Amino acid sequence: MRSILYFLFIAIHATGFSQSIRGKVEDTNHQALIGATVRELGTTNGAVTDINGRFQLELSQQQGQLLISYTGYLADTVVAVLGKEAHYQLEQDTRYLQEVVVKGETTFMDDLEAKHVEVITASELTKAACCNLSESFETNASVNVSFSDAVTGAKTIQMLGLAGKYVQINRENVPHIRGLNNRYGLGFVPGTWIQSIDVGKGAGTVVNGYESMTGQINLEFKKPEQSERWYFNAYGNSFGRLEFNVNHATDLTDKWSTAVLFHADWMDSEIDGNDDGFLDLPRSRQINVMNRYKYQGDRVNSQIGVHFMTDQKAGGQLGFGFGDDFATSPVYGFSNRTNRFEVFGKTGLLYPHKPYMGWGFIYSLAYQDMEGGYGRNNYDGEETTVYGNAIYQNIIGSTFHQYKTGVSILYDDFAENFADSAFSRREIVPGAYFEYTYLPGDKFTLVAGIRSDLHNLYGTYVTPRLHLRYQLNDRTTLRASAGRGYRTPNAIMENSNVLVSSRRLSILEEPEPEVSWNMGGSLVTGFEMGDREVSVVADYFYTTFENQLIYDLERASELRIYNLEGSSYAHSFQVEAAYPLNDYLKLKAAYKFYDVRATINGELQEVPFNSRHRFFANASYATKYDKWTADVTLHWYGSQRLPSTLDKPTEFQRPQRSEAYPHVIAQVSRGFRWGSIYLGSENLFNFTQDNPIIDAENPFGEQFDAAMVWGPIAGRLVYAGIRYKIK
Amino acid sequence: MRAIVVMAIMIASSQVGWSQKAPIEIAGGYQVEIMTSAICELCKETIERELTFTKGVKESDLNVESRVVTVKYNPKKTSPKEIRRHIAGVGYHADNVDRDATAYEKLPFCCKDGSHGREILDRSH
Repeated sequence: MRSILYFLFIAIHATGFSQSIRGKVEDTNHQALIGATVRELGTTNGAVTDINGRFQLELSQQQGQLLISYTGYLADTVVAVLGKEAHYQLEQDTRYLQEVVVKGETTFMDDLEAKHVEVITASELTKAACCNLSESFETNASVNVSFSDAVTGAKTIQMLGLAGKYVQINRENVPHIRGLNNRYGLGFVPGTWIQSIDVGKGAGTVVNGYESMTGQINLEFKKPEQSERWYFNAYGNSFGRLEFNVNHATDLTDKWSTAVLFHADWMDSEIDGNDDGFLDLPRSRQINVMNRYKYQGDRVNSQIGVHFMTDQKAGGQLGFGFGDDFATSPVYGFSNRTNRFEVFGKTGLLYPHKPYMGWGFIYSLAYQDMEGGYGRNNYDGEETTVYGNAIYQNIIGSTFHQYKTGVSILYDDFAENFADSAFSRREIVPGAYFEYTYLPGDKFTLVAGIRSDLHNLYGTYVTPRLHLRYQLNDRTTLRASAGRGYRTPNAIMENSNVLVSSRRLSILEEPEPEVSWNMGGSLVTGFEMGDREVSVVADYFYTTFENQLIYDLERASELRIYNLEGSSYAHSFQVEAAYPLNDYLKLKAAYKFYDVRATINGELQEVPFNSRHRFFANASYATKYDKWTADVTLHWYGSQRLPSTLDKPTEFQRPQRSEAYPHVIAQVSRGFRWGSIYLGSENLFNFTQDNPIIDAENPFGEQFDAAMVWGPIAGRLVYAGIRYKIK
Repeated sequence: MRAIVVMAIMIASSQVGWSQKAPIEIAGGYQVEIMTSAICELCKETIERELTFTKGVKESDLNVESRVVTVKYNPKKTSPKEIRRHIAGVGYHADNVDRDATAYEKLPFCCKDGSHGREILDRSH
């Protein structure tokens, strides 16, 4: 009986032919091509390659032919190789200058990756037309963007219910937004420079260091060899902000190519929608330039680049402008000038006959300074960072057992001054790591890593990380991860939002490094509805702190800073579903729950400024070849606990919880042969927090506080822009 | 072998037997079928993309097997002649209009004559 059933099963299977194939798409130098489109010819079957260039596809025909395409490369039609993972090479297209295809997926989950990673592609990024990295996550459910105060205009991100400082943000695998960059750093990465973003939830790989505590975000910038020859973008909005971006990429010789990325923005108008006498967002101007070179040899790949940025902000009360002195100004002023200079690069050594083997060396030397003030208090910061990481990868016996090992060095010289407080430290941290990957087939992956770092100030850090992936069936994948993370807090910079208040800074003890454990898991699955598939992603992560630097706002006149005494944890749960209604319209919705508590002021309580419940919904419409696209995204934030103001005079007290509020963004764009024009709005419903500043009339008085911010300060924004490409 | 011969004959006859089609009126505009020299999915994308951004064209769909692109258009804004000119401009023959040689040169190799075993037949007829 059983064998008959088995036979039946085979028979059914055979009539509807289905064969799963796996492969990797790479260029002729064995570099993985991310986001390449793989289609089965004559069908609607298709896949997009993941961050390792890998894909998986169900063939529906016996003699499957694949059409593999990737912008900037010659598309190729090949016969699908069954049974084993095949490598498909695409040749770079030096002649074909017109844009062909590629309407790939805009966001996708990386199927074969052991870590829970979502990839946001360049075409998804165009849905948030403005302006920098902080807006790049607007159509993504996993990363939340939050408003921090009513003066500085800084936006920060949150992940798994915790602040963005616990996410390791890398640029091409070099730790990037950290230290002095922590608060304003997202604004220093122009959106038009970004090729793709990988959002990894939970513990990250040990290869990139010990700093990822809740997740790891990796930014890939536009590459010389893959970019348009010329790309122009001009943007303007109803607040008077203007932006101009130019990217240029060119081949210098057959081995060398270069790209210049340029960004400038300018806003010098006074926007005060709530009439409290304070600018809703500061005046700002920025010039940002990167020049990168790539050498592509037969055995050596090398990149080197330089980056220079200067940024200036001036905010506070109406009338305070660029160049005004906050210390003597009759009105309350906020100013900040940041300069950053960086040299970075990587070199890889390949073995053409042993594609699994290789050497890599990644480095960055950066100097950054900040100068400015908040009201009558000055703030200055300076940071010099040197980072180096040498990686070796190989296999043990067969490709079932792979490993990466290496050594790294971090030198971080950090100094900051605020009014009469000063902090400085010099960290020198050599480290070594080993990461083993067990990949016995396509169903199961285990990645176990450990690293040890000898911190000159804080002793030995031991960082274990574990990732598991199990593919239950063609649609369903389970993942689990666990790991430890460390970071050094920067007490003043991380509170720059609180500096716009009359609070006294009380640092009760010497800050110690923050240490956390994170564990969790995710389920990716799908089911048929009509003739289309609903895809579902559910994940749960738990973060708990061994030590955390607590920023206690519970006394209205003080910001008290001390090391955690008690417990601190965050439970985060998210479920997301996506459904293509038809060829043009895609719907996506998510619900997020965060339970974030810490011992603050001697009591285990909800961490302030954190919505426990959040909703996300997105409708995305695109006609053929993106001639017309339209996007609407809703973020709904539930009520947040606010720090206590009970010790203020009654008229300055605030409610204990915030209101719930919606934040809606929308954009329409029209494509042309040469690019596109777009029109959009942020905060479409014009929701703003009422009266965000406590005692705005007396900014130098004892009750003033502009940091009690839980929602948008600026009202509806309308923008328009143009993108022009020359291939 | 036999199958190949049959296929070759079929392909040949589909082209040789082609005569330029007159536009027909459909709901909300006109529709015309144009024979092209497209040979693969990528050619389909190139031609359809071009027509997507051509003034007056509402919709286009190229059948790779028959090489015929069906175009819906607004007769007040464009004409079959203009549509053929656009297809030729990106490197493909369109009925009796010869492809632009420079554009053809720039096509990827998989869209060139003879790729995928699909020859572009003699057009001297």
